[in-house]
Amino acid sequence: MAEVLNRTATRQPTWNTSGFVTEMQSNELNCATEQVGNYFLNPNWDNSMDQSDPFESALSSMVSSPAASNVLPVSGENVMMRELIGKLGNICNSGDISPQFSIKPNTNTGSANASFNSTPLNSPPRLNLSMVNLPAAFSADPGFAERAARFSCFSGLNDPLMDSFKLSGNQSIKVDGSQSIKNSPMEANSPENAESGVSKEDSSVSQQIPARNDAGTRKRKSIPRGKAKEIPSPAAADAKVATENGESNSKRSKQDGSPGNGNEKQNKENSKPPEPPKDYIHVRARRGQATDSHSLAERVRREKISERMKFLQDLVPGCNKVTGKAVMLDEIINYVQSLQRQVEFLSMKLANVNPRTDINMEALLSKDMFQSRGSLLHGIYSMDSSAPTFPFGYQPQQGLHLNSGIPNATETQFSMKTQGFQLPSIDGFTDANPHVGSIWEDDLQSIVQMGFGQNQPQGYQGSIATGQVKIEL
Amino acid sequence: MNPSSLKSRFATRFLRALTQIHARKPICPSSPTEIFRRYRRIKAAADKSMAYSVRSRRTWTGAVLWKLRSRSCGRRSVKTSTLVKSQQAIEKKTRHEKQNKNTTTTTGGHGVGFGVEATASELRELVPGGEAMDYCNLLDETAHYIKCLTTQVKVMKKIADFYSL
Repeated sequence: MAEVLNRTATRQPTWNTSGFVTEMQSNELNCATEQVGNYFLNPNWDNSMDQSDPFESALSSMVSSPAASNVLPVSGENVMMRELIGKLGNICNSGDISPQFSIKPNTNTGSANASFNSTPLNSPPRLNLSMVNLPAAFSADPGFAERAARFSCFSGLNDPLMDSFKLSGNQSIKVDGSQSIKNSPMEANSPENAESGVSKEDSSVSQQIPARNDAGTRKRKSIPRGKAKEIPSPAAADAKVATENGESNSKRSKQDGSPGNGNEKQNKENSKPPEPPKDYIHVRARRGQATDSHSLAERVRREKISERMKFLQDLVPGCNKVTGKAVMLDEIINYVQSLQRQVEFLSMKLANVNPRTDINMEALLSKDMFQSRGSLLHGIYSMDSSAPTFPFGYQPQQGLHLNSGIPNATETQFSMKTQGFQLPSIDGFTDANPHVGSIWEDDLQSIVQMGFGQNQPQGYQGSIATGQVKIEL
Repeated sequence: MNPSSLKSRFATRFLRALTQIHARKPICPSSPTEIFRRYRRIKAAADKSMAYSVRSRRTWTGAVLWKLRSRSCGRRSVKTSTLVKSQQAIEKKTRHEKQNKNTTTTTGGHGVGFGVEATASELRELVPGGEAMDYCNLLDETAHYIKCLTTQVKVMKKIADFYSL
């Protein structure tokens, strides 16, 4: 946790929200913590998202340790808090989060936030100001959009921002750094607050201010999820997080779609903002696009899926040039099939091998690390009759190698294996070789063909002599 | 080699099982039937070791273990009923998706557009336990499954090389 905070600390300029209102706090405290989470979006989100994994773990640890008190010394770590809130939004959505947003009255020292009862919120809150208040305020205020528009005049909000306010009453509003702060204080209080808030805000913080009160639907994870989108998520865990985020986003978008919602939610997914590029993660209905909850949810889901496909693309070798979901899917299917066949081959080979009684497991394990290709040649000629030999393609080795080992799976081999490799399904081993050999010859420069099962070494030699084997020297 | 990596965990487990299997001394150790039996056992051991070696339990690991157990206890109809339920779940999902998207879902995972994503039945067949998952989770499971399969293949290759020396 601390490290996370530090990370964000370095990145975020101090976000002084001292202008924030105490009143806001009191009112809105009753909002679920989820809302809070959604509100704050770190503009440098992607930076923080780089450490998404530790973040997640930190967050989960936070969740598990419900700390009632706010923790953060006000050092302007609002951003971080926001990030955390966003991430943990989902966790906190359990609904039992009776808002303990005991928002302390403006403490410039920034002790405000602590009131997040939800565990995740507690740790991060380093809000300078009652950042906490922000979400609360947002969520609770039904006329937020209107007020925001109104308040915009105070601080001279950017046009795009205001446009968004006007455009979509229910749409999530992208809050620009300075403006977001503006909005938050504004709606709650007098313009002065807004102005002060505005002036205070120096960092371009994008806030996600889902005013949604839905318990369990607001998932702050959408924030990390959106960022995860931008950052290739190498790990499946990331994808999982992304999934959750995506779901939360979809939920949020659904809520966005339903008008008349008292809470203004400015959920936005930073897919393709029509405005100048901002590094948010919001769900936003693009201009001219359908804004009903279904299509928004669909879009979120599609983005999730494409994220996963990208990750799979990295896993499957040779899929970088492949474009399109259908082709990619076929490639994945082929690869999985080839891997499964390889396992079967290997287990057949192991079934045929003559186990040596003096094999030591540790030795084997250490051997695993040792690539002993050259010794395979010798091993082949010393095979006894029951030694398994599988037809495998192999990469040309230096020197003479009659390779009975299984070559490294490469793309070519992979594709080769997918071309009607019938061996695993054959119960009788003996007669598959000729066919397989011919198939493989076509694909590889040199193929060593070996018989199955009870090939005697002479038989093995004989099969080599049948001309189906090309040995590359 | 990292002692606690998936690779080493799988390797230890699998080697243990392998030595056990080879320790059996059948009457005719080199007959094709015997070899085939050993092959099946080794393959089951490989799948089982892999399923046990993953840290985070996944859907496919449970499905693999379940299949192995049901196979060892004899084919039963339990599996079919489970499959039927999963099929129903999938159909419900695809129906719902159809309503939402108004796209036609294609079967077999072949096709263009969004429709292919709804079913991807081929992939479902390949990934154990993939029948009852939605497409998103299916892709997740596939990624994890591919990772584990590659580990399995690598380790088994090395063992096979070592054995054939």
